[in-house]
Amino acid sequence: MSPNFKLQCHFILIFLTALRGESRYLELREAADYDPFLLFSANLKRELAGEQPYRRALRCLDMLSLQGQFTFTADRPQLHCAAFFIGEPEEFITIHYDQVSIDCQGGDFLKVFDGWILKGEKFPSSQDHPLPTAERYIDFCETGLSRRSIRSSQNVAMIFFRVREPGNGFTLTMKTDPNLFPCNVISQTPNGKFTLIVPHQHRNCSFSIIYPVVIKISDLTLGHVNGLQLKKSSAGCEGIGDFVELLGGTGLDPSKMIPLADLCYPFHGPGELFL
Amino acid sequence: MRLPLLVSAGVLLVALLPCPPCRALLSRGPVPGARQAPQYPQPLDIFQPPPQSEQPQQPQARPVLLRMGEEYFLRLGNLNKSPAAPLSPASSLLAGGSGSRPSPEQAAANFFRVLLQQLLLPRRSLDSPAALAERGAENALGGHQEATERERRSEEPPISLDLTFHLLREVLEMARAEQLAQQAHSNRKLMEIIGK
Repeated sequence: MSPNFKLQCHFILIFLTALRGESRYLELREAADYDPFLLFSANLKRELAGEQPYRRALRCLDMLSLQGQFTFTADRPQLHCAAFFIGEPEEFITIHYDQVSIDCQGGDFLKVFDGWILKGEKFPSSQDHPLPTAERYIDFCETGLSRRSIRSSQNVAMIFFRVREPGNGFTLTMKTDPNLFPCNVISQTPNGKFTLIVPHQHRNCSFSIIYPVVIKISDLTLGHVNGLQLKKSSAGCEGIGDFVELLGGTGLDPSKMIPLADLCYPFHGPGELFL
Repeated sequence: MRLPLLVSAGVLLVALLPCPPCRALLSRGPVPGARQAPQYPQPLDIFQPPPQSEQPQQPQARPVLLRMGEEYFLRLGNLNKSPAAPLSPASSLLAGGSGSRPSPEQAAANFFRVLLQQLLLPRRSLDSPAALAERGAENALGGHQEATERERRSEEPPISLDLTFHLLREVLEMARAEQLAQQAHSNRKLMEIIGK
């Protein structure tokens, strides 16, 4: 190619990339309102960012899946309360205490658990989580506001709280942060498609669906052992290395579920595995 | 001469092709060819986001049917201890009164209040197995409360919630509905701003 032609191509590419999509906004405006610097003004961002955060009262048993500020105020002694937090699979949950008014000495407590725990079963399991179980509980009555913001290790978290005195309570803000390579995920929906990528890490990850579902795996890529492609063996997945295990059960803890299938050989579409 | 023209045209076509948003992970919507998950019996949707000044109003009020299928309690104390007696499903409740429909916020509050009443107010005339189970739960709960109050906080064993998957899915569906309603509200605000 001649240098001139290259330059023309580059110019065309840059021009189109700069305008791609953005030109639609210009078309919608009247001539009198035309602002050639609209795309560069901060007003648009300010208007969008100036919206008040979502707020509502927190219930004794609650599930929160969107960002916002939630306030719990006891109208009577509430001794056994819990709130679940769940975000998108590729998000962390951050819980920030805005205001806490509980009587720790009187038996109140407010604890954040990194994950979900249900009937004694934890997600992620002890094998999949970097912290021991005791350290996954963060007790406000012990740490106070020194740990005002607590971020989960996956897309789920929960709090347990007890407030005896009517009128006492707390306000917290739930935020989400992006998680580039989610490892342990609870899906919010029984339908969808998910790609789990574990980039060059030695760790166990899990993806949980708390619904009866049909799982279809259309593509599986596994790591290499010592730089060599895995050899197929009829002896199953024992001692091969990386594998994917499909489990079923009625509990939350993957380590207590029943193995249904082990996949230790990579495959690509159009072949599919139904369970 | 023709070759550069063809290359330019190809570049134009590629550049103008719609680019889907770069979300590498979970996408919404049914997967083609996937069998629908079996529909478990569930009560009618009862949760609607609490009305606030900036919240959109629901287009229609829905009938409220509460089905108290399971009970739950917050387990305090040693998880190795045997749990309370198995809880049997309670009878169904029909909320909504005599023809009048509760407000959405009241319906959601009713749902959670009934759940908690199962735990805190055991003296009700139920079938004998359910009554026995409930008394067992109450005794276990009372024992747990006393044991927990005596223990020092640093020695307090992990806290867990005994909630069935069914109820967990119920509250998750409520949260999803709330999230979608808020997303719709935000989208409407965004369109109003852009359309100025």
